[in-house]
This record gives sequence, structure tokens and C-alpha cells, in this order.
Amino acid sequence: MDNLVTANLKQRPIRTIISVIGVALGVVLVVLMVGLSHGVLQEQGRRNSNVGAELLFTRPNNYGPGTSSVLSLPVQYAPKIAEINGVQAVSPVGQYLKPSNQSFGMEMVEGIDIDTYQKVTNLSIDQGKTLSEDNEVIVDPIYAKDKKVKIGDSIDLFGHKFYVSGIYQPEIGARIKIKLSMMQNLLGSKDRCSFVFVKCQTTSNQEQVATNILSTLPGNKVLFTREIQSLYEKGLPAVNTFVKAVVVVSIIISILVIMLAMYTTITERTREIGVLKSLGASKSFIIFEIEKEALLISVLGTLLGYLVAITGRWLIIKNTSLIIDLELKWLLYAALVGILSGLIGALYPALKVANQDPVKALSYE
Amino acid sequence: MKTILQTVDLKMIYQIGKVAVNALRGVNLTVNQAEFVAIMGPSGCGKSTMLHILGGMLKPSSGSVLIDGQDLSKMSDGSRTELRRQKIGFVFQKFNLFPTLTAEGNIRLAERIRLNGNHKNDSERRREILRLLNLEGRLNHKPLELSGGEQQRVAIARALVGSPAIVLADEPTGNLDSENSQIVLKMLQELNGKFGQTIVMITHSPEAASIAQRVVHMRDGQIVNK
Ligand SMILES: Nc1ncnc2c1ncn2[C@@H]1O[C@H](COP(=O)(O)OP(=O)(O)OP(=O)(O)O)[C@@H](O)[C@H]1O
Ligand SMILES: [Mg+2]
Repeated sequence: MDNLVTANLKQRPIRTIISVIGVALGVVLVVLMVGLSHGVLQEQGRRNSNVGAELLFTRPNNYGPGTSSVLSLPVQYAPKIAEINGVQAVSPVGQYLKPSNQSFGMEMVEGIDIDTYQKVTNLSIDQGKTLSEDNEVIVDPIYAKDKKVKIGDSIDLFGHKFYVSGIYQPEIGARIKIKLSMMQNLLGSKDRCSFVFVKCQTTSNQEQVATNILSTLPGNKVLFTREIQSLYEKGLPAVNTFVKAVVVVSIIISILVIMLAMYTTITERTREIGVLKSLGASKSFIIFEIEKEALLISVLGTLLGYLVAITGRWLIIKNTSLIIDLELKWLLYAALVGILSGLIGALYPALKVANQDPVKALSYE
Repeated sequence: MKTILQTVDLKMIYQIGKVAVNALRGVNLTVNQAEFVAIMGPSGCGKSTMLHILGGMLKPSSGSVLIDGQDLSKMSDGSRTELRRQKIGFVFQKFNLFPTLTAEGNIRLAERIRLNGNHKNDSERRREILRLLNLEGRLNHKPLELSGGEQQRVAIARALVGSPAIVLADEPTGNLDSENSQIVLKMLQELNGKFGQTIVMITHSPEAASIAQRVVHMRDGQIVNK
């Protein structure tokens, strides 16, 4: 009842709503952008590390997020690697990143040689039958569920109709797999692939096998699949910089919105501040009243931001092939961004008004 | 009789660019406890300036102001605010209620500031004041829903929160019609009579001044004998 804060916010509903939206905007940006960049990277990394093969042989600078999708590694490497000491099996794989059919975002397609692929990974056909015809495709259960495809359904890839012959387990690499020979034909890259999976005779021996491969075939690159996850996580400084920039922009937006709102509010209420002073209100009391108002706006903005971000995430995941991570850590971080920027934004107006001459404030019209 | 307020050679010079305005030129004023003093004088003679200095809202250029034994003129801004919180209640010509709060909200806010929230021990006095000011039925109304006279009565109730040693009123009936002026003046008189409230009131109206125990006349920043 004696609460100037809520009374003031109710007095100017439009301004309150705009300020709340301003803060929410920052929170949404942080949650979605951070979640998106992390989600895409981690998802990709997780699927790549979910492999039986210990090693991945490729050209230098030719593996990892953001690399070109052209098949560039000659398949002839595969039989050479197979002969190296300690190698049990090899399988060449083609990877191609293409725009998603349904909406925004990219989709990864893999071309595999199913017989050797099953020797180097734990892939098994869960439903339907294996990949045997050129116009067949196998998908993982998540893809089948997300895109609502069943065995026998058709999927358009590279302008061709492919039919789903089976659903495989577990998630490994791309969710859509066709025959490597078919991918080579379609992309005009005869006898080429993106990398070769290498399965070692014993897992504990993988470092030695990697050294053997590099000494036999120098100038190439061997990755440990167990490290691919972390490779994805730290492998993209550009993405991290981008995320930081988004966070900074969000903080600035929130600070400016609150500062502007508080500045106009206190100018409008100069006289009231004078009355507070005539009643004996200290500077800290006045600063505290204004900060409380900013805090309330920030908290409301953060809650609205969460609501929009979570709904937005759900809609994006449902309608696109993008993956957005929602980590508690980042939600808390976003709240901190919203609330701190509110408090900081209100500080200058609060200090200014608290130091005002009380007699002048009282005669303000 | 105890002296509650005393000024010694109080001077105030406003500096506007190169021009210096001598608003007060050495005011010596003494007010006793439970006294009701009216201050009269032509416009611009320095009445409001003096009242603001008495209430610690303004720092004088020179001279001293003793409120209940404490010298305001030597205090920091923060200490003057604290003294005002404890000992001074202001009433203004323009009422100056918070428009977004109800009458009761306005009084509660003052309680929050002046009593640090503990209005328990004052609730008996509070009820008595509200009865005296005849406000009991109007507490849930916002200022715009109240008449000028009612608003000024709420403002007086607010000024009385925390039992200030002195009430300083700057033309409290200046914005009221004669009927409401009568009511407000009568209430101020009762507060002085029943509660022994010390009141210093600026007024332009001889009728208003007549209810005070003593009238002080000012001219050109000084107290004069009429
Ligand atoms: N902030 C200020 N800056 C400069 N001069 C001022 C200021 N406040 C008041 N004055 C001047 O000081 C003098 C005294 O003003 P004050 O307001 O005290 O008069 P007053 O007796 O209250 O007049 P009124 O009856 O019209 O209210 C006037 O000449 C006024 O112009
Ligand atoms: Mg005046």
C-alpha cells in the first residue's frame, strides 16, 4: 500500500511493459544463442564420438565443424591403412552438409559402405532391412521420430528420391546415411570420401596404431574419436567470440532500456523525490527505492525471457533441424545478465536523483 | 519555557551568475516549545527561504540554527536529513501527496521513512490524529479523489508521523477556499492546543495569522516590528 515501486509501475503500464520486454530480449538472446551454438556443436561431437572405431583418418584441416563438405580424401587410402600393423578394420565415409529440406538449418548426410562400416562401428539395423540399393537410405530413431518418417517413406536428397529401408542404432555421425558409391556419383567425386574410420585390434593400442599410420602415410591427420567431443567444444573460437558478442550486446540493450525507463521515470517524479527528502528520506533510501523498481522490472523481464526462450526453443527444435542446448548454467547466467544490467542501468538515474537539491526538486513543475 | 528553535544572525545569499540575492539579512528568531507562530510579510521577503533552512532543506550562508539544541548550520547534508527525519514535519501549499498512493499509503510511506517501519508503538496517537483531522473515512482514496481540504489534512497527518518537534507549514491554506481554510486552521490550532505541537506557519492571510499565539513580520530578509 505504501509501495511506491509497484504503484509507479502500474501508473505507466506501457513503459513498464516495454522495459520488461527490453530485459526479456537480452535474456532470450543469451539463452537461445548460447544454447544454439553449444547444442549444435555438442550434438555433432556426441554423435561422432559414439563410434566403435578408435581412429579417424583424414586430410589435415579436413575434419571438424565447419569444414568443407566436398569429398576430398581418395578412398585408396583405406586398403593401405588396413595393412598397417595393429589395424583390424577400416571403412571410408563421405560426409555432406546440405540445407535442411524442411526449414532453416543444415543437415548432415553420410555416405557409407555398410559392410565395412558395421565392422568398425556398433551400428545395427533395428527395424527394416539394411542398405543395399542405391536409392535407399537408413536413418536413426531420432530422425525418424522428429521428421515422422517410416520404413518405405521417401526422402529427397540431392534432388533424388530415396526410400527408407531401415532404422539403425545407436546415433553415430549423421542421422541420414546412404551408400557411399551413390554419394560419390551424385557429388561427382568418384573414388573419394571425407575420412576413413579405423578400428584397432586392441583399444589400448590406439596411440601406437595412430603413430604407425602417420609414419606410413605422412602428411595426413589421425584423430582419436574419444577426443572428438572436446574437439567440437573448444574447436571453434569464432563461435565462442560470437556468443560473447551476443551476451555483451544483450547486457547493453538491457542496461540502456532500464536506464532510459528509470531516467524518464525520475524526471517525471522529481517533485516526489523532493517530498521524500522533505520527509527525511536518506540518499540510500531513495537509491534503494529506485533500484527496487529496476529489480522488479528485471525479474519480470527475466521470467518473460525464460518463457519466450523456452517456447522459442521448443518451436525451433520442432520445426527445424537445429539443436538448442538448455543448460541450467546458462539460464542462471541469463538471469544474472538481466538482473545485473537492470541494477546497473538504474544506478546512474538513482544516484543523480538522490543528490538533487531538495528545494529545487520540490519546486519542479 | 523550553526553547525549541533558535536562529542567530541567519543570512542567506543566492548567487545567480554574477548577481547575489540577499534573501535573508540576519534573522534572529526564537520559538518556544508548544508555541504556534505565524510568519507574515510581502512576497519575496525570504519567508520560504527561512522555513527551508529551519527544516534543514537548505544550508544557510552564515549564522546558526539550533533545533532542539542541535546546530543545523554546522551539519553535513546527511546529518541534516537525519535531523529532519526525526524532528521536522513539513506542510506545503501544494499538499505534495504522492498521487499514486492512497491517503493511507501516503501516511504509511512517511511511517516507513520516519519510524523505520515500526508504527506499532505509535498506532494510538495515529488513530487520535486521524480522528482529529476527520480523515477516518477517506483513507482508501487517492489524492485526486479527495477535495483540496482533505488532501491538506492528509498532508498534515503525514507531517505529524513520528511526532516531530516542529511542524513547518508554508502557506498551508494558500490553495484552499475560505471554508476549507477555516477547517484546516482550526485543526492546526487543535493540534497545538491538544498535543502541544510546536507550529511555525507562513501565511499571507491576517485571518490565518490570527489563530497563532504570536505573529512575526518579515521584510527584506529581516524580522521587523510592525
Ligand atoms: N533558488 C533560488 N535562487 C535564487 N534566488 C532565489 C531562490 N529562491 C528564492 N530566491 C529569491 O530569494 C528571495 C526570497 O524568496 P522566498 O521564496 O524566500 O520569498 P517568500 O517570502 O517565500 O515569497 P512568497 O511569499 O512569494 O512565497 C526572493 O527574492 C527570491 O527571488
Ligand atoms: Mg514562499
